[in-house]
Amino acid sequence: MALAGAVALAGVLAAAPGGAAPLAHREVLPNGIVLLVAERPAVPIVAVRVLTRAGAAFDPDDQAGLANLTASVLTRGTAKRTGPEIDSAIEFVGGSLEAGAGRDSLTAALAVQKKDIALGLDLLSEAVLSPTFPAPEVTRKVAEIRAAIQRSEEDPGTLATRALSRLVYPGHPYGRPVEGTRESVARLTRDDVVKFYARHARPDATIIAVVGAVTVDEARREITARFGSWARPSDAPPAITPPTTAMTPREEKVKRELTQSTLMFGRRAVRQTDPDYFPLSVASYVLGGGSTSRLYTKVREESGLAYAVYSWVSPARYGAAFAVSAQTRTAEVPKVVAMIRDELARMTREPVSDRELALAKQFLIGSFPFRLDTSAKVADFLAAVEDQGLGLDYADRYKERIGRVTAKDIQDVAAKYFPPDSFSLVTVGEIK
Amino acid sequence: MRSVVSLLAILVLLAASSAPAADRVVASTLDNGLRVLLLEDHRSPIVSFQVWYRVGSRDEQRGATGIAHFLEHLMFKGTPTRGPKQFARLVEENGGQDNAFTSQDVTSYYVDIAADKIDLVIDLEADRMQNLLLDPKEIASEREVVIEERRTRTEDDPGGFLGEEVGSVAFKAHPYGFPIIGWMEDIKRITPAEIRAFYKTYYVPNNAIVVAVGDFKTQAVMDKIRKTFGKIPKGKTPPPVLAVEPPQNGERRVVVTKEAELPIVYMAWHVPNHRSNDAPALEVLSTILSGGRASRLYRDLVYQRQLALEAGGDYSYFALDPSLFWFWATPMPGQKPETLEAELSKHMERLKTEPVTDEELARAKNQIESSFVFQEDSVHRRASMLARFELIGGYAQKDTFMSKIRAVTAADLTRVANAWFAPDRKTVGVLLPKPR
Repeated sequence: MALAGAVALAGVLAAAPGGAAPLAHREVLPNGIVLLVAERPAVPIVAVRVLTRAGAAFDPDDQAGLANLTASVLTRGTAKRTGPEIDSAIEFVGGSLEAGAGRDSLTAALAVQKKDIALGLDLLSEAVLSPTFPAPEVTRKVAEIRAAIQRSEEDPGTLATRALSRLVYPGHPYGRPVEGTRESVARLTRDDVVKFYARHARPDATIIAVVGAVTVDEARREITARFGSWARPSDAPPAITPPTTAMTPREEKVKRELTQSTLMFGRRAVRQTDPDYFPLSVASYVLGGGSTSRLYTKVREESGLAYAVYSWVSPARYGAAFAVSAQTRTAEVPKVVAMIRDELARMTREPVSDRELALAKQFLIGSFPFRLDTSAKVADFLAAVEDQGLGLDYADRYKERIGRVTAKDIQDVAAKYFPPDSFSLVTVGEIK
Repeated sequence: MRSVVSLLAILVLLAASSAPAADRVVASTLDNGLRVLLLEDHRSPIVSFQVWYRVGSRDEQRGATGIAHFLEHLMFKGTPTRGPKQFARLVEENGGQDNAFTSQDVTSYYVDIAADKIDLVIDLEADRMQNLLLDPKEIASEREVVIEERRTRTEDDPGGFLGEEVGSVAFKAHPYGFPIIGWMEDIKRITPAEIRAFYKTYYVPNNAIVVAVGDFKTQAVMDKIRKTFGKIPKGKTPPPVLAVEPPQNGERRVVVTKEAELPIVYMAWHVPNHRSNDAPALEVLSTILSGGRASRLYRDLVYQRQLALEAGGDYSYFALDPSLFWFWATPMPGQKPETLEAELSKHMERLKTEPVTDEELARAKNQIESSFVFQEDSVHRRASMLARFELIGGYAQKDTFMSKIRAVTAADLTRVANAWFAPDRKTVGVLLPKPR
């Protein structure tokens, strides 16, 4: 593949207002791969992410767990090497090569010292471009994943998250666990994996982020040499539709012999492309974000009812959820449920104080540099921002939009997203 | 979050650097005994400011276990000039992130924050080193929080539950046998007066290390530290830990039954710490057995024979007193814990007679070295690594550590395997799932 073509489409993102340096160089290779490069020369390491839109959202309805299985076999054999050979090669240089699937995407992640970048990229590109998915490796992973799912059924947080996803996204792929169920994974075959990867792994659905002790020119050259000849199919990449079925608030209980109960409230919310997202983020921080939040103060500090109590927004490409969770001794469940409902309702009724507003905004803006303080974090961030369609100026825009949020904005989004009876509730524990 | 480092979660922060970073560290001991380590790192406008107290569950007494961790929670409950919650509020409204952890050996507090806020953090940390309120009402409510934390980590977590049992059986004299979070009965009983006395004894400048790495000017920060921490009176030298664990004279075993999906097997042997010439070999041995997917336990038990869902091991090079070398495995469904126990033992026995390959030895050394390089990427981890080496005798050991690792030979590994892993001196723990 000609290098000149790659350069033609190159474009460095303009610096943000205020003169902040661009977060990364971005260009689209001729076959459609989006290449993002951030130079961090001080430490001699390189982090690379190859993200493909082939996450669990693309699992066929009766094949939950297929993207996850596919990802977990990606490094288990290529045209040139067996799985154990790949493990030995990368670990011999103290590096790591891992692949995994999330809801939206499948990501292969490489971390190596600068001196080992050629070997690292060889292994990474072989895994992405020529996986052979050997049948014994698929069989082995099916057994391993099923055992891991079984074991996770002793973890109350995992049980609550699974049940809540089902309630929040009825009929949508986000309602299914990424790893599938023991039953669905048992049905998956090598043939399913091969077909899934052939259909979804394509250069025009792929983002490559290279971060660390490399220059843009070096990264372009090395990536193009390995991924440049990956052919782009003529049809359009498959897409997922956002959830359409409305969520009906429900309560669900999962019985386990435990001394604590895990409570998880959840409902649908909005993602970063919606103007409500920024006030919602501030509102969630005031309610249950840090160790000064209303829930932390009331449930933990004043009442000693929980070690963990928090709220969060979890946006993804095709939808978003807002959730509140706490763990408390079983006898106090009704009290904690009432406290959470009261605090949700209070956010809809009255504006937050100036001090709470200022603290939440200052924290969200001021702590942002720590989301980007290592090459691995920058690589994850770049790949995610591109995948979610947020633009490379997202870090600056985030700070600017958070900075503009007012107490009235918060009350308005609380009125939309915090009415207590709009939430589903899952309880895991000793239930009478 | 204001938390415990569990016995098994001590994935030792292997520290040090292939880059000659230590020569840029400015180290000073103030007149009051406070040790200060400062390292400029101007890549980002941020700083990690950490205070490490040389006190952990190792310094506790029977009947008052968990007091070090309980006190760690109370360090966020205010001083006369900054009331309860003010610490977190001041940090968060300045865009900072703070937290703390308690281990067997240390209690560590950190704030990661914009570099221009470092003076605020110095003021806050110096204040709570000497002026903690320890209000009985706050103690009463925080006690309930710690109890909930224990439920989450131990009562309701099969791995935590078994780990606590094994630790307590493996040590009969040394306080490493105490759970870091403390026995439930002790958490419920400990009095405010005991907590106050513990604070007075151990939270003195001569028992602490201040470490900062980030975008600051060393001289300005050192001046500020002298003006704040420097005014705190030197305390009495805290009492040394005198207990020495006697040799283990026979196998010990504990079997617990609990609602769980799969069994767990733990095996632990008493081994020496960093003070021993065998320590670098033990570190390499641990990596050969369980560092990554090419390691022996993963490749054989998880990959080739599919006997285990997970298998691994851990060695605490940095422990202040000799501690344990751990193995663990989770059997695959249908596999018996006794099978995994036998297989883990076989791996240990094989190391006693058969030298490791050159490739295994070189790979383990490269993995250890590489992990050092990766840690250099984060100011927080750079600071933690300096503190870890300072705790075992001096941050400069960071630069000799890797040469000790590089010097380990296959014969050394055979020797330490024979010296420390006698089959009749291990402690075994098994968790048997109780069906739902």
